[in-house]
Amino acid sequence: MSDMALNTAALPGDAGVQTLRAQAAEVFARTGLPGRRDEDWKYTDISRISATLGEAWWSPTPSELSETDFSGIEGLDAYRIVFVGGEFLPEQSDIPEGVTLQSLSALLADDADERSHCLFRLDESAPLFNGFLAANSALASDGLCACIGANVKLDKPLYMVHIGNSTSHILNGLMLGQGAEATLIEHFVGGDSNSAGLNNIATYLRLADNAGLTHYRLQMEGTKQFHIGRVEVKQAGNSRYTLHAVELGASLSRADIVVNLAETGASCDLNGLFVASGRQHIDHHTRIDHNAPYCRSRESYRTVLDGRAHAVFNGKIVVAEGAVKTDSAQSNGNLLLSRNAEIDTKPELEIYNDDVKCAHGVTVGQLDEDQLFYLKSRGLSEEEARQLLTFAFADEVLVGMDSKLIRRFIEQAAFSKLPNMSDLEGFLE
Amino acid sequence: MLRIEQLHASVAGKEILKGINLTIGAGEVHAIMGPNGSGKSTLSNVIAGRDGYEVTAGSVTYHGKDLLAMKPEERAWEGVFLAFQYPVEIPGVNNTYMLKAGVNAKRKHQGEQELDAMDFMQLVKAKAKLVELDQSFLSRGVNEGFSGGEKKRNEIFQMAVLEPSLALLDETDSGLDIDALRIVAQGVNALRNAERSIVMVTHYQRLLDYIEPDFVHVLADGQILKSGDKHLALELEERGYDWVKVEAEQAAA
Repeated sequence: MSDMALNTAALPGDAGVQTLRAQAAEVFARTGLPGRRDEDWKYTDISRISATLGEAWWSPTPSELSETDFSGIEGLDAYRIVFVGGEFLPEQSDIPEGVTLQSLSALLADDADERSHCLFRLDESAPLFNGFLAANSALASDGLCACIGANVKLDKPLYMVHIGNSTSHILNGLMLGQGAEATLIEHFVGGDSNSAGLNNIATYLRLADNAGLTHYRLQMEGTKQFHIGRVEVKQAGNSRYTLHAVELGASLSRADIVVNLAETGASCDLNGLFVASGRQHIDHHTRIDHNAPYCRSRESYRTVLDGRAHAVFNGKIVVAEGAVKTDSAQSNGNLLLSRNAEIDTKPELEIYNDDVKCAHGVTVGQLDEDQLFYLKSRGLSEEEARQLLTFAFADEVLVGMDSKLIRRFIEQAAFSKLPNMSDLEGFLE
Repeated sequence: MLRIEQLHASVAGKEILKGINLTIGAGEVHAIMGPNGSGKSTLSNVIAGRDGYEVTAGSVTYHGKDLLAMKPEERAWEGVFLAFQYPVEIPGVNNTYMLKAGVNAKRKHQGEQELDAMDFMQLVKAKAKLVELDQSFLSRGVNEGFSGGEKKRNEIFQMAVLEPSLALLDETDSGLDIDALRIVAQGVNALRNAERSIVMVTHYQRLLDYIEPDFVHVLADGQILKSGDKHLALELEERGYDWVKVEAEQAAA
């Protein structure tokens, strides 16, 4: 990549934002993109992106799709917040009352409003910081900015649909006040169209004392699309954060999930399911910092890989010196349905005090022969037995979803990808 | 109904069964007893069609068909059922769903209409009573978190639902306390009928106090050395297995 100069001149925002954009562009030009020499990018080769999208791969492109190309999750009652090609469509959206919620574009249009500044401010020392995040800060022009006031319990989920197959940089910020509760669904969809782009998304989440957020992150981009995401969560005392990350789409998808358990009693649950086939590449790096006493973290990731798919899971947990009574557990199960599929998985624990409970476990394998024989001895065909076991393996991370509608939607989307996953209707009940 | 002739089988290149001959008629209950390592479990696994057991000679004919040529699921469709010595846990696969898939695959194979969800639930509830299996077990994952006794009861429950014509009970009594043994035995006895044959593989005479066999066979070193009626089991309990081996060696000499 010869010329890493981002042009931020024509982008929206007041003088303060412009300064931050220029700084981000400078960081980008200086640090460039991560390469294989970076430990955190060792298994993910992003040269595919520029090879496909060209030298100025970051330049936003319009979407060929429209909001009618996607019907949504059947039966889901939610506040729909629609983006097409990275652009917020107010007329397609349904904004809840009693909540401060604006698109980033609307916020940037108001020069008197400085609330967006914090979203653009980069911290190069943040865990898993990289050039994509700098590009996002320099170029983002839309996204969601919302504050849910103290003790507000949102009656329906916030459902952000990103209809893509284009290049866009999206920046989201969601703050939950003390005791507030909400569900956020980020859903990235593409089509079968041949067009490809890069979706570069950063989502900052702040939870005040006792706040609770359930976050669904459903990556179902088009098959040629690139997806780079970052979720950064900061949690105050006794707040609760639950992530359900589902990775089904895109040619290459990388997400960095960074959780800071900053105050006493905070807890997080990170659940992940990857189902990949063909030559798909999916990478999740998770980083949980236990920075205060009595915090709890749980992590459960499962991958089902077919064809020549390649998945990467890195789960790093850092327990600070003062974070006594830390309770942390991580598990990662991987099912390889084909000889050519590949998984690189690595738990990483850094613990700086003795008063902690940290468990982790990884499995990599094929379907269990004893289980297969048992099912066949009961009259299930080889194919049916294989389907059932594959389904059961993956479904174990989905059972924690509190929305049955989303769970059903994901089950169907996930298993229609795999060969011979025909009629499991009865099993879905 | 089942005819085993000169059956030789190996596991990982080692010959375990060395010429088994056994004929089982409809409605009969047979007990196969023998010391550890004699080939008892190998015999059940070969009949059920488990991978890793290589039949090197001999034949197994079932209702006039070549059983060894069938896949495990085809054997199940033809009415063969194996109650496992160590039932495997399958988290996430619903017990009832598995049985419904099994029952309907068998019905389809036999040209019968598949059962709908309502009819099936009725069937399952009735059968669960037979082995005093709590209904909550029906909706759990297959054997998931079951105690040893519950797993064995679940095996007999599955047998009741699948209604096999040949049931192989592989050490069903092992790991059961006396109450669980009684419940399991009652279940098996309730399933005895003129068309259903039962083969019990066991170490101990204890099970036979509850399920009375028509025939008892002693399997040692891969061969059936002696056959008799239920009195043979009592004699084995008293005298052990060695005398049978000695007798067989003398007869061979």
